Amino acid sequence: MDAKTNAPSADLPEQIAPEAVAPEAGRARRRLIGIATLLSIPILLYMGLVFAPEDAQQGPAQRIFYIHVPAAWIGFLAFFVVFVASIALLATGKRRYDDVAAASAEVGVVFTTGVLITGPLWGRPVWGVYWTWDPRLTSFMMLWLIYVSYLVLRGYVPEPARRARYSAVLGIVGFLDVPIVYLSVRWWRSEHPGQIVFERDGMPAEMLVSLLVGVAVFTLGYLYLMSLRLRVGRLRDRAEEEVAA
Amino acid sequence: MTWLGSAATIAGKDLRLELKTRDVVASVGLFVLLVVVTASFAFPTTGEGREAVAAGVLWIAFLFAALLGMGRSMAIEKEESCLEGLLVSPAPREAIFLGKLLANLGFTFAVELLILPVFVVLLELRVAGAALLVLSAFLGTLGIVTVGTLFAAMAVNTRGREAILPLLVMPIAVPAMIAAVETTEAALTGAWTGGTTSWLLLSAGYDALFLMVAIATFPHVTEE
Repeated sequence: MDAKTNAPSADLPEQIAPEAVAPEAGRARRRLIGIATLLSIPILLYMGLVFAPEDAQQGPAQRIFYIHVPAAWIGFLAFFVVFVASIALLATGKRRYDDVAAASAEVGVVFTTGVLITGPLWGRPVWGVYWTWDPRLTSFMMLWLIYVSYLVLRGYVPEPARRARYSAVLGIVGFLDVPIVYLSVRWWRSEHPGQIVFERDGMPAEMLVSLLVGVAVFTLGYLYLMSLRLRVGRLRDRAEEEVAA
Repeated sequence: MTWLGSAATIAGKDLRLELKTRDVVASVGLFVLLVVVTASFAFPTTGEGREAVAAGVLWIAFLFAALLGMGRSMAIEKEESCLEGLLVSPAPREAIFLGKLLANLGFTFAVELLILPVFVVLLELRVAGAALLVLSAFLGTLGIVTVGTLFAAMAVNTRGREAILPLLVMPIAVPAMIAAVETTEAALTGAWTGGTTSWLLLSAGYDALFLMVAIATFPHVTEE
């Protein structure tokens, strides 16, 4: 990383712009991703609200699909990244992996929170209820709770190295728990109403294209937020190392 | 000394301490009884279908008991730097984990066996399958205690201490809890179905998976 700046001189002022400490190489790329994300959001809105045909049974309510489903998929991806980074951290002990895991967990919680908000908004007009204890919903709620507790744990461990190892353990255990949670709530609610949304045969091409655009936009958004949080994580690492030194 | 021998020694240490002080079994046992009595006021525990409510009440009480016992068991290791003593001993980290796990399992399961007859009498339950009841108590407790012992070793070093342990254990322990409630209900009603076998397998599978994960990750938790 930025090894050349690890000798802070004594006469630095207390408040330093981050750039003054470390000229950042990835800055241009991050801005590019940010601009691309910003520009792609109106495209998704057009695709979801205008381009995609109205659902014959669900009417306009179904259009929330184009943000609900991509947010869920990218949320899963984010937690998978936490899992892989956690294993890498325990295997190598490199702090960089902890930054990746922490950033991805934060972004994943934001996205899955979005899923848990848009889901009831969609469920109310279509199913008649905001919430139902269906396996998919229940296990998604558990997934969200696991990663919220992950973030809470991080806040409770002040020592950086210990925080990295503890949260890595939870990142691994939590991810392995998710399929078992899904299996167990599926058996528990054996009378579940079926996957109303996903069992349609042959989605119209316009819907599928809009969904894929949604996935692309959310992936861009994930990459942008990740790069921002990674930058913050790196600056925090450096500050903590300076305090420790 | 062998690996298992070290684990047995550590569990034995906790057992001897417990026999002298009777801290855990007395406080946790009373606590479980209080939860059961309080829950009996809060939930309909008479009449038809009370077995399902009883199974839920019982497992809420057992979960709290396990959390209380595990927090206590790790807190005593922090006093007088006992944990550091254990960590610098020649016992492998895996053996330390297994020793604490055995002690936690032993205490929690002992409390459960003491409370079960009281519970059956208080709620006028007819136990149709006593063996299944004990088996589901064992498998469910093993699952909770496995993730709990791992997380207790982390929680004791956080700013939140014991307060953080339930936050870590409860979301992860959901499958173990569901399976335990289902098998306990089957034991109380005597309605053994194909589903009961699946639940027992799920319980055992959960225990086995997290036992492996916990043994693999515990050395990282105690690394300093």
